[in-house]
Amino acid sequence: MPSCPSCQAPLATPLVCTNCNALQDCEGELGPYEAMGLEPDWVVEPKQLKRTLLQLSRFVHPDYFATAEEETLARAERASAALNSAYEILDDDLARADYLVNRLGGPKENEERQMPQPFLIQVMEWNEILEDAQGAQEGSDEWNAMKELGTSLTSERAERIQMIGDLLTPLPDRESEVLTNARREINAIRYIDRAQRELKNLQLNAALGGSH
Amino acid sequence: MGYIELNVLNNDQSPQVMGIDLGTTNSLAATWKDGHPVVIKPEHSNSGSVPSVIHISEDGNVIVGQKALDQATVDPRHTIFSIKRMMGRGLADIQDDLEAFPFPISEDENGLLNIDVHGRQYTPQELSSLILLRVHDLGCRAMGGAEIQRAVITVPAYFDDTQRQATRDSARLAGIDVMRIINEPTAASLAYGLDQSASGNVAVYDLGGGTFDISILSIEDGVFHVLSTNGDTHLGGDDFDRALAKLVLDQLEGKLSSDELADPALQQAARLAAEKCKVKLSEQPEAELHLVLPDSGINVRRNVTREEFEALVSPLVQRTLDCCLQALADANLEVGEVAEVVMVGGSTRMPVVREGVEGFFKRLPHTELNPDEVVAIGAAIQAHILSGGSRDLLLMDVTPLSLGLETVGGAVSKIIARNSTIPCQATEGFTTYADNQTGIDFNILQGERELAQDCRSLGRFKLTGIPPMPAGLARIAVRFHVDADGLLTVTAREESTGVKSSIEVKPKHGLTDSAVEQMLEDSLTNARADFEAGRNAGLVTELGTMIHATEKSLPNVIDQLDPEQLADIREAIDAAREASDAKEKDGKSLQSARDALEQATMPLAAVLMDSVAKAALSGKSLSDV
Repeated sequence: MPSCPSCQAPLATPLVCTNCNALQDCEGELGPYEAMGLEPDWVVEPKQLKRTLLQLSRFVHPDYFATAEEETLARAERASAALNSAYEILDDDLARADYLVNRLGGPKENEERQMPQPFLIQVMEWNEILEDAQGAQEGSDEWNAMKELGTSLTSERAERIQMIGDLLTPLPDRESEVLTNARREINAIRYIDRAQRELKNLQLNAALGGSH
Repeated sequence: MGYIELNVLNNDQSPQVMGIDLGTTNSLAATWKDGHPVVIKPEHSNSGSVPSVIHISEDGNVIVGQKALDQATVDPRHTIFSIKRMMGRGLADIQDDLEAFPFPISEDENGLLNIDVHGRQYTPQELSSLILLRVHDLGCRAMGGAEIQRAVITVPAYFDDTQRQATRDSARLAGIDVMRIINEPTAASLAYGLDQSASGNVAVYDLGGGTFDISILSIEDGVFHVLSTNGDTHLGGDDFDRALAKLVLDQLEGKLSSDELADPALQQAARLAAEKCKVKLSEQPEAELHLVLPDSGINVRRNVTREEFEALVSPLVQRTLDCCLQALADANLEVGEVAEVVMVGGSTRMPVVREGVEGFFKRLPHTELNPDEVVAIGAAIQAHILSGGSRDLLLMDVTPLSLGLETVGGAVSKIIARNSTIPCQATEGFTTYADNQTGIDFNILQGERELAQDCRSLGRFKLTGIPPMPAGLARIAVRFHVDADGLLTVTAREESTGVKSSIEVKPKHGLTDSAVEQMLEDSLTNARADFEAGRNAGLVTELGTMIHATEKSLPNVIDQLDPEQLADIREAIDAAREASDAKEKDGKSLQSARDALEQATMPLAAVLMDSVAKAALSGKSLSDV
């Protein structure tokens, strides 16, 4: 573990020394795991992650450097931004999976676009249900079909996330075949998320329209 | 047995700082004193609120606050209000307001609004700086003439980048060093959290004079983490007044010509009468809407019941609740998971608003703190934290709207999603689409819509100096950084060759840096000089009182002072006179003369105190001493 140039204590994160509060000089991009002081791994404990974010923010947040000189303040801005961005990636299963596949040299999102035929047919069916539910009354058949779709999408998403977790545990070797499978699952989830977003919008609009 | 800690030595060494709530209808400052946030109130006044109104007379004399508001019906053409609604906006954005504004507004070639007063053009930023100066000045006076340079200024959470920039620029024009721009609801949550050591999910419902915000926060271990925010920067108490004013103006339709109806003085009088009536209706079930304009012989009375009023404004309340629904969805929370609801802003005094919020969140909202003061208090707390006074609390706020770039075909590529915790950063890769292309135009966008034309353009920049190469080979990284003030900076570079290109974003509806510099130079900010003149006048008065008091008591105790002390006093008095009488008043020498006189008269004060004490003991009356 690298140590702090000011006080020689081991550094838990390259951003700041949690022993002497010295902000470290880290130009360039820092991976989200590195920023949070974690070993890359599929499993991330959400509560622990949030605790780490808040704890490290207490050392690097620019609010505490408002009177410092410009360079120090700029370091605090960078470190805090790195932490916040790291949290958003690690806390989100899909973003974390995407990051890990990229990090391990797997196919990029636009390099592995092909989806199996049966899946695409399924997506078209979702779209039909969502289209029919446009402007549908609560309790109508169309509305209920949409609600059902919502439930099945949620469980299908969970299954696919589980599958990604299995593929990425333990972390595969760089450019391993497994990464292609993980990428396909990620792409499938993007379709699911798009449908879920549409579905939520329908519900929100119904709630807003209904309250007037 | 307990003991009281006497903190004599640690006499609050931290520099004095101020929090300023720059509101649509009222502005207010608070500061940190003796371990607490304190709202600044002028002596003998129970409110420190300064109406955000400016009157400018023909000879260029500027008045801000209540006295300016008094001019609204007398000289409506030159009395400017609701400036906050114009900040960082263009003419197209304020169409609804134009009808209500009795002063002419135009837009210049850069999309910057100009308000015409006596033939001179003022930008909203300049006008806003005049209000800031006034509030800042009151604050400095209340703190004993201290020159407090650093301040935290609040903005609606839903303010976009141009509106935030405009606010920052007006502070610069006022000569105030902005430590931080913070969001009003977040500031309010600090004020509540400080007193109640709250934890859990909190919703802050902030309905002010011209803007509405809803923010959802999670509070734990002193960290105030904003989960989501939503709102409408064009919805506030003003709109409630207008709905009510329309009621009485409609009554005059047919009786007055359309010219008479459009008379700014009438419009203003109706607006003010409506506001009065609205305030009464918060206390009583029925109130009179009394529109009187003696010069035009207009005197209309109309009774309004609370029910009638509530029916009139319920669409406005509903709009706020729609925002609440969206904010909850963005925070991924159900209504039941919100533990506390906090009410902020004067408009939350209306029962119809309170009931609407209670019905929506299914719990009684907090109204313990004065809704007019809570934002300024929170800003003062944040100012205290920023000046290094405390590490107990931490605010982690979000950016309210997504940020991105226009891509081919007029679509938007989102780079930073709304409700991302700030500061934050993200990089997106682009490439060239033609062989030997040496430059790329970028259009920076803010908003949630899918098409660039439906989002707000924050500005455009051109990346130049890309070395000639075949299409698609250049690797251009565009980096967005949103800082702790919520302000965006964009940088770009070509990565395959490492060529960095500097960019200058031309702000839309905003001032360029050089424009701000120019304005500062142009003594338009005579305002700054006015402020100093005001402060100097205060010091001169104070010196006068001190000299008078010293000379009055000196003969009585002259034999109890040693010659050296006496000489010091006389010297200090002379110096004070000289500073006061100087043709060109100088703030620094006035201040140091004041301090020197205070220092020199300390032995005198001690002797006086002593004789007072002795007099009290010997039963003599004070006047005999």
